[in-house]
Amino acid sequence: MQSFITIENLSYHIGQQKIFNQLTMHLKQGKTYAIIGPSGVGKTTLLHLLAGFIRPQAGEVCVAGELLNKTREKTSFLFQDLGLFPWQTTYEAVQMPLTINGNFTRLEMAKKTEVMLKALDIVQCKDYYPHQLSGGQKQRVALARTLILQPDLLLMDEPTSALDAMTKETIQHVFLELQQRYRMTSVFVTHDIEEAVYLGDIIIVLHSMGRYQLIHNKEPDVILSRETQAFYNQCFHVREQLRIGAKTQ
Amino acid sequence: MNKLKKYMYQPKLMGIVMVVCLWYILYAVLKTRTIPAPLTTMQYFISHIEILSVHAGASFLRVLLAIILAVSIGLPCGVIMGRYPLLDKVFSPLLYVLYPIPKVAFLPVFMLLFGLGNVSKVILMLFIIVFQLMLSVRDGVKELSPHYFTVIESISDKKIHMYRYVILPAILPCVFSSLRVSVGISLATLFFAENYATTYGIGYFILSAWMKMNYVEMFSGIIALSILGSLFFEVIDCLEKTSTPWQS
Repeated sequence: MQSFITIENLSYHIGQQKIFNQLTMHLKQGKTYAIIGPSGVGKTTLLHLLAGFIRPQAGEVCVAGELLNKTREKTSFLFQDLGLFPWQTTYEAVQMPLTINGNFTRLEMAKKTEVMLKALDIVQCKDYYPHQLSGGQKQRVALARTLILQPDLLLMDEPTSALDAMTKETIQHVFLELQQRYRMTSVFVTHDIEEAVYLGDIIIVLHSMGRYQLIHNKEPDVILSRETQAFYNQCFHVREQLRIGAKTQ
Repeated sequence: MNKLKKYMYQPKLMGIVMVVCLWYILYAVLKTRTIPAPLTTMQYFISHIEILSVHAGASFLRVLLAIILAVSIGLPCGVIMGRYPLLDKVFSPLLYVLYPIPKVAFLPVFMLLFGLGNVSKVILMLFIIVFQLMLSVRDGVKELSPHYFTVIESISDKKIHMYRYVILPAILPCVFSSLRVSVGISLATLFFAENYATTYGIGYFILSAWMKMNYVEMFSGIIALSILGSLFFEVIDCLEKTSTPWQS
């Protein structure tokens, strides 16, 4: 399968701090990639580079065969804090990308918006403003807004980090359903290994300076690099500590 | 009984009732020609409604024109200063010097430059409203979370969409609160300005009644000016409610 996203010899630094040095990565079409790794290794930065929000100092990013030098219309981004505008109702927020796109009639826009609202089960709150919505509903609205133009690339920055366990599970389920329906390439950043395993086809374990290991989720005999193993051990250690803490309380 | 209770909880109606009561007490206690009876004044007001409307209408048009001009100039200038730090650095010192000066002091200058007619009066009010508006809009734009811009950038790379979907709706509350403050000040200034070289305007009407020592007429003019002020506030409130429904 040909690469959908190609990152070639990418270098990116903020001031004196090098985030990526000669990073090369190939991502396939229609797959879901979960990026995990310690804090500060550049997970969100990588996502921003893929979105075209920032440009690398060296190297290049190609998406769908095109060199990326600005944001793409077919790339959608789900922000960690969702980025819903306080002045837009659910309906307005979901419809906004269609209005901006400008290639749809009023009737088409209304139809598409209704379909998306139904798909994400937010019809009942279509006239609500963000402050009137629950965390899960906000997440659904943001997801609907990112998917309305049927992107071929969906980027998500810690999409469920602010949600409680129950809502998180529901949203993960919704995402899997939508992924099956639209078959887009998805790349998301998470701190939750279980989420990465549950949603991702391929897990990118990112280390400092842009070193990484790709782990195919369905491969049973994967050999972890020493760094990846150390990161995994650290995560499971923290989780074990939390579990012990919860028991003693 | 329930209807009465409902009216009792209307703050504006309660305010009017309280003012009339206070006025009546003053009238009864002072027993002077300077404070006429509320009822007599109201009767005069109703019987002279036509002439009062002409004067109030002239003042209304002056303020309205000043507001329209101030919004057309102040809003884009404020947005530009909020978005481009270099322009803000260049023009902010000028604003900081001009803003605190009582604009009414410029009336003679404007009269010399723009004549004794309506133009100088409108420009005086424009001067009052536009600085307040510019500063509020500039600060409103500066305080906007940079994240909103990233969000809109992820959907469209056209600047027009950033203004249409982020900046304009975000600054609307600033525009209305600044209009509310500056319209009050500009009405007070208009009252002063209308005493020079005009025969129409509610300010002229009040002062002319005062000079004639016709205090009933003077008070009916004050009522008309109050109604005019309240009308502006109501319209601004109404516009704010309809254009910023997420705030309610």
